Amino acid sequence: MRFESILAFVLLAQAPAPASGPQVASATLNLNLGSHARLSFSATALTFPNADPDLTPQVSSVPDSIAITAKARTTRNGQITVTVQSTDDLRSGVTTLPASLITWGAQGAGFLPGALSASTAELVGAWTGSGVRTGSQTFSFRNEWTHPPGTYSLTLVYTISAP
Amino acid sequence: MTGRGLRVHLALAAVLLGTAAPAAAQLLNLAVSPAVISIPSADPDLVPTVSSGPVTIDYRVRQNSQDTWVLTVLASGDLESGASTIDIAAVSWIATPSPPFQNGTLSRSVAQTVAMGTGNVARPSTGSIIFRLANSWTYDAGTYTQTLVFTLSTP
Repeated sequence: MRFESILAFVLLAQAPAPASGPQVASATLNLNLGSHARLSFSATALTFPNADPDLTPQVSSVPDSIAITAKARTTRNGQITVTVQSTDDLRSGVTTLPASLITWGAQGAGFLPGALSASTAELVGAWTGSGVRTGSQTFSFRNEWTHPPGTYSLTLVYTISAP
Repeated sequence: MTGRGLRVHLALAAVLLGTAAPAAAQLLNLAVSPAVISIPSADPDLVPTVSSGPVTIDYRVRQNSQDTWVLTVLASGDLESGASTIDIAAVSWIATPSPPFQNGTLSRSVAQTVAMGTGNVARPSTGSIIFRLANSWTYDAGTYTQTLVFTLSTP
């Protein structure tokens, strides 16, 4: 009889103590990075001054170049492009000149030379993967005696695209 | 008392001594919520640092006498989204109240101290952590995840 009562006490003492020892809790860190893109320019207006076509067959713009910063976050190895399209030909009242008379040279990795078009978006630059790219365009206008005098203007629309 | 009866008493006494220590061990409680900590996307130019909502840490320390207690966090790896990764060390945190909580930076190799104190935390207590990431254009877009392991311990 005495043996049985002592054994019961031993079993109680062996019951596990609550919440002793290191306590561990886990959580999942979830980071959502969506696609974003941004274009910025050192200037938003260009002017080609009047000049004698024999003396200046290619008129440089003022300012002579525009710095471009293309920022894009895209999927791994996603293709990023920047294009430019003229909304119209060069227009002075009812007189027009082809937008393609304006061409540009390019500086900076991934930036490409080209000519304006009123019908097609022309490639300004192309890159693979996320990042910040800087470069510049140097514009010129093909000067000819056949151009009617006038003040011509057009608008350029730049587009940056990334998946 | 017979000789057999004496041997039984000695054996039971040894068992009782062996179970006495765990009953006096420190009592620790830890809970972290929410279970999923989300950091939302934003344009890096507009939001240079992206942050999570507050993460609540509920904890309690008892039967700890004058010993030190410490709460640590260890990441199970870098942030991963398919083949894309972001170094987990890019994630830092701001914790309150201070003390016992402290600010820090996540690591996947060394448990980082989140809070530390001495003795007991008599009442259930709460801390708050906000995780932060320097937002960058260079990261691949995607949904990144990683497991964080919080450990509350005493020596």
